[in-house]
Amino acid sequence: MASPVSVYNSNAMDTRISSTSRDSLKMELLADVSLLPGEDRITDKDIIYICPFNGAVKGKVLITNYRLYFKSSEADVVVILDVPLGAISRVEKMGGASSRGENSYGLDITCKDMRNLRFALKQEGHSRRDIFELLFRYAFPLSHSLPLFPYVTQEKFEESGWTVFTPIEELRRQGLPTNKWRFTLVNKNYELCDTYPTLLAVPYECRDEDLKRVATFRSRGRIPVLSWIHRENQAVIVRCSQPLVGMSGKRNKDDERYLDLIREANDTVKLTIFDARPSVNAVANKATGGGYEGDEYQNAELVFLDIQNIHVMRESLKKLKDIVYPNVEESHWLSSLESTHWLEHVKMVLSGAIQVADKVSNGNSVLVHCSDGWDRTAQLTSLSMLMLDSHYRTLRGFQVLIEKEWISFGHKFASRIGHGDKNHADQDRSPIFVQFIDCVWQMTKQFPTAFEFNERLLLTILDHLYSCRFGTFLYNCESARDQNEVRMKTVSLWALVNSKRESYLNPFYTPESGRVLYPVASMRHLELWVAYYIRWNPRIRQQQSPVEQRYLELLALRDEYLKKLEELQRSDSSPSSRLANSSSSSATSPSTPSQQYTHLQTPL
Amino acid sequence: MLTGSKTTFKVRQMLPDIKERMLSQSGMNARSRDVFGLRCLPGECVLQRAVMVRKKLSAREGRGWLSGTLFCTHFRVAFVPQDSPKPDDNADPVLLGDHDVALASIEKVVVVGPNRTKLVTPNSSLKFTPEELVLYCRDMRVICFLFDRLTPDTQVLEMTYTIAKTYQPPKPGSVLSFQNAALGSVEMKQFLSNRRRDSHMNWCESVSDWEQELERCGASGWRVSSVNDRFEMSTSLPRFIVVPQKVLDTELKKSFAHFNEGRIPRWCWRHPRGSDLLRMASFQNNIYYEKDDVRNLEMVLFGCQSSLCVVVELGEELPSPADIQLAHGRLRSLCLGDISTSVSVPDDKWLSSLESTRWLDYARSCLKKASEVACLLRGSHLTVALQEAEDRDMSCVVSSLVQVMCDPHCRTQRGFQGLVQKEWVTAGHRFYSRVNHHRDNDKEEAPVFLLFLDCVWQLLYQFPSRFQLTNDFLLALHDSVHLPLFSSFLANCQRERCKRHQNSGQSYTPVNGWRDTLHSDSSPDPCDPPLPPVWDWALQYSQQRRDAFTQPVPPLPPAQPLLNGNLNTNPDSHRSDAVPGSVFLLSRGTFSCPANLLPWRGSGGSSVYKKSHRRAASSENVPGLERLLKAWALTELPCGLGSSSSSRPQGPLDPYEPLLPLLTGPCMGLWRECYLRGALHAQAFSHPVSANHAHPVERLAREVQQLKDKLAQVSAGTPHSPPPAKVAEPRRSDTNLNQNTNNGTFLFPAQRPQGPAGPRAVPAPTSTNHQTSRGPPPSSAPPTRPAHRDAGGSNKQSFLFGDLSAREQQQVHYYAATSNAKLPKGSGSSMAS
Repeated sequence: MASPVSVYNSNAMDTRISSTSRDSLKMELLADVSLLPGEDRITDKDIIYICPFNGAVKGKVLITNYRLYFKSSEADVVVILDVPLGAISRVEKMGGASSRGENSYGLDITCKDMRNLRFALKQEGHSRRDIFELLFRYAFPLSHSLPLFPYVTQEKFEESGWTVFTPIEELRRQGLPTNKWRFTLVNKNYELCDTYPTLLAVPYECRDEDLKRVATFRSRGRIPVLSWIHRENQAVIVRCSQPLVGMSGKRNKDDERYLDLIREANDTVKLTIFDARPSVNAVANKATGGGYEGDEYQNAELVFLDIQNIHVMRESLKKLKDIVYPNVEESHWLSSLESTHWLEHVKMVLSGAIQVADKVSNGNSVLVHCSDGWDRTAQLTSLSMLMLDSHYRTLRGFQVLIEKEWISFGHKFASRIGHGDKNHADQDRSPIFVQFIDCVWQMTKQFPTAFEFNERLLLTILDHLYSCRFGTFLYNCESARDQNEVRMKTVSLWALVNSKRESYLNPFYTPESGRVLYPVASMRHLELWVAYYIRWNPRIRQQQSPVEQRYLELLALRDEYLKKLEELQRSDSSPSSRLANSSSSSATSPSTPSQQYTHLQTPL
Repeated sequence: MLTGSKTTFKVRQMLPDIKERMLSQSGMNARSRDVFGLRCLPGECVLQRAVMVRKKLSAREGRGWLSGTLFCTHFRVAFVPQDSPKPDDNADPVLLGDHDVALASIEKVVVVGPNRTKLVTPNSSLKFTPEELVLYCRDMRVICFLFDRLTPDTQVLEMTYTIAKTYQPPKPGSVLSFQNAALGSVEMKQFLSNRRRDSHMNWCESVSDWEQELERCGASGWRVSSVNDRFEMSTSLPRFIVVPQKVLDTELKKSFAHFNEGRIPRWCWRHPRGSDLLRMASFQNNIYYEKDDVRNLEMVLFGCQSSLCVVVELGEELPSPADIQLAHGRLRSLCLGDISTSVSVPDDKWLSSLESTRWLDYARSCLKKASEVACLLRGSHLTVALQEAEDRDMSCVVSSLVQVMCDPHCRTQRGFQGLVQKEWVTAGHRFYSRVNHHRDNDKEEAPVFLLFLDCVWQLLYQFPSRFQLTNDFLLALHDSVHLPLFSSFLANCQRERCKRHQNSGQSYTPVNGWRDTLHSDSSPDPCDPPLPPVWDWALQYSQQRRDAFTQPVPPLPPAQPLLNGNLNTNPDSHRSDAVPGSVFLLSRGTFSCPANLLPWRGSGGSSVYKKSHRRAASSENVPGLERLLKAWALTELPCGLGSSSSSRPQGPLDPYEPLLPLLTGPCMGLWRECYLRGALHAQAFSHPVSANHAHPVERLAREVQQLKDKLAQVSAGTPHSPPPAKVAEPRRSDTNLNQNTNNGTFLFPAQRPQGPAGPRAVPAPTSTNHQTSRGPPPSSAPPTRPAHRDAGGSNKQSFLFGDLSAREQQQVHYYAATSNAKLPKGSGSSMAS
């Protein structure tokens, strides 16, 4: 990143170094880097950063076991880079010892967070060998049998983020169990399904043995289980993986019966099965043993939602990166943007979620799956739950939503992100979670008062999705997390978030329950999330929302007036009773809001 | 009334039976009459009425449906919601209610039947009973009425026919009849002639207006000349122009011939750092220059600055009026879609289609040019002269944009109105031809002014907190352009307006030698109704809606700048009162000094030019100028990169620092609140109206206001502070609350309506607040409370239209405030102390 620009940027990484005064430049360049507890310096070196916006900048780079830090040594150009090693997807040597041209010899670093970094070194004495090897080693610790940084860090927070979500509490909050839905621990030892959590909510009448038989017919044993239940009409969102129909068109009576039980639970006439895939893909999956529910499922209707797979999404975001980094495609911006199809994919995900939410709010139970039920399914269920349940729109609730629908239900974060893994071309990598956060952002744009959290939270989540500072997004599923004792040995991202709660709050949040949000899923109303995708471009000034900006100004104005008022009253040598009155009244009745706001000032 | 069978109706000729169809006609002596809840204008006739109609509410109105009665008069289509408050007979007439459409605004009438849609023309006959009536408006609104089953079929059909026949198809001559319908009655004429002008804005019409503007800008060295008082020098220039003090009228007179249409360089504005902005038409090349002429011309051109003059040529990089017209047409058809032809751009092609309209490109190039000029002006003492062939289109855009960027005063409602008066209305933008209400010259039509409004919106979008005017104001202005009622937009120049006012050409006869630009059919007719200026907003908008034109608490830099021309601390300003120095041409971002830039400096006048020993523009100045522009490029980069300070100082902003917008693709927005208002692709969705607690911004704004009032009070009490000249305006709070309930919370679809007395009710704001003196009591708050009946199951595939940039709406609604939101003088000055 070239220099922190916006409020958001500068806070994106919480440990950003703020002191950039000229004096400090004269001292040891890297002396003032504040490291995390447990973070160790590995090496530092004089280097040239080839800034795509400013040209070559001389400076020093510091590599720790957590970050790559660069600071320019030139007095007139202050460039600071602070990149968690986790964000690095690829490190390559650029040029050779004999290559010509200025700054043609060095390192080329590709990051997962929409930017690339280039460093140049002197072409003498294998100057880059050490740094390349160290960087490679610490950026990809798993490939070098090193522990991930979350296991090394000594960071402590007052609140342990791991208590934010407990499955049983969340299900109870939804009003479960009921006489139609029960809890089961059949997966206690991850025997039924190794990518599911241990506690599952299933139809009351379904015995555990039935579940086991259903599991044989669902890909990877990911049986339909309850994600969310509507308090009033008892309609449910159930998630699972594709049925193992195969070429021969196999059937499974238990599965059919199971789906019917789900339907009957609230007397839904027809259970709607949302298959997130395009129908072509669903058909193609039959060849590999998968498929979709056929006519044998009476009382069910199948709807394909036409959302593309992880590979399409990965390529789409790659195209988007190409047009925004390092330089924004100028001449045909809108058609270039269109040709990435990124917004269109966002639209498809959103409109799928809208359909799910609409069904459920009208009292119809739905079943959502894709192929394995951990990518598109997670997007759809979590987004529709966000639309349906205002609890998930609070700061805490959103954490629960991510913990529940993404982490505990086995979105393969490790594979999709590739934490600490050098295999940058891994076909399993895909920005599915980024896309989900984008959808959430679109919703916050369209309903600016409906969410308790602000854009900064979303940016923070995405930063730490890659950073490897917290254990939250490590590993593919709960069983792996248990095995690696993530909750024992690492810190949760939510510990950080909840320790600085105020900075993630939306001042315009208007609590409102029982409302269903239906965003407009139309290209006419979707926007590119400039503050995330183009944030490294210093030419893009981060646009604060007008309302927020206005709010801040009003706060400033209020403080100014308060100060003036105070001064006036103090300077007035003969305080009249009238003045005393007015000051006291300002402190009492009308200031209820003021007290409410004071704590909001700091973050914004 | 109906002929033919039950299913086929022939439309009868309108004229014979129009009288009998008139359900009512307000009498000559009754000022206005309440007919079935519709408050008619004097002389307005209700032609048709349909009951049990529902109007689809736009996103701004809160979405959903509103039941009421639909009227068609010979002036408007009016909609009166079911339980709207009884109109106050003593109030001044408002031409259009909140839900009304002027017939002249309607471009197309479309009906939707059971399985079909049909475009209705005056001669159409319908073979089905419409269920929906859609009015496509010229201002890009799309208004949709739904006929209930309970609406009698005959009423539906008659209403459709009546509207189809009475709306004004674009043809010459229809404008006058529309104007007469609206303003032609004796009472209306009388009413209008008694209207007072808004004295808080500068109309730029009289000598004192101009002197006031000179004083405001601290522009010493300039004077108001009435050399064109009788439009003898230039027909299209205003009566009064501002010229350098040192140039005498007699000297001035010789200059006119050297410019196209006699539009000599005139002063527009002075930057607080002392640079002047001028505008002029292109030179007349084929005229012989005498020695004195050249001296005079240079004196005029260099204005008060002596050393440096930059001529900014506006022709090249900016769109032509024809380009703008084409782009706007594409934008219209893209955004409106068309229910009757079902042709609408597929969603996945939206972005590239939007790009190919080129509308945003054009807005960008205007903003770019204006940014360059703004950067030049802030640099040092120089004169920037905008030059355009005719000086009546893009120079209006650029000169006014520059001022919006640089002058906080122009970002207030009143200041902006004055700006439009100065740079558009009196400066002679050819509104008559460009708007083309009369449809008499389609070739000339070009919405140059609308492009300007879009540019202003872009600035507002990027710098929302630096504006006192709001999106609502821009929208109102946008829509008013399409209403052929306002003198501001119905003439090509001040001379035409004057002629109209004088009822005959007796005072201002055109002088030989200048072509008469008057259109034949606009020749004054004593019967014409007097046309009001657009700025008389009370004619069009209720107090409540006008309140939303400004923000309740002004942006941080006080809205009243005191420009004294002495802000300059720039050392590199070499003032010398000697002879004029260098002239540069700015074109495509680079400066040059072509030999023929000033025609008299070419070979022809070279002897003169040599004698006056002016050197060819020294190229030393070029780097200096380029630095000014580069400074702009650098401001695009954050200081962290460009300079040593790693974070932009967030301290007190220099209020005169120009707002330089970012112009890269991702930073240019689409004015959705305007262009996508009527988009039909988003279905209506029932939504709740509840939550009676104010928005945080609202609450904070109120609190700030209270503090301000208190401050005013307190400082008034202290001996060393100015007397409470104006007691701070009490902010409306009740109205606002209600607005809030209507607008702020539509974002949340209701499952069940909530009682107004929710538990979260704000501790009665009225109790701690000033009693509002304006605004209706809560009960009479906007009648936009949508019916809740369709909250049930009818919403299957309907989506809540989240927002068209809800930010904007919010801002607008939550800030809706009193119209003059200036800091009260008392508190302002005490704060400065």
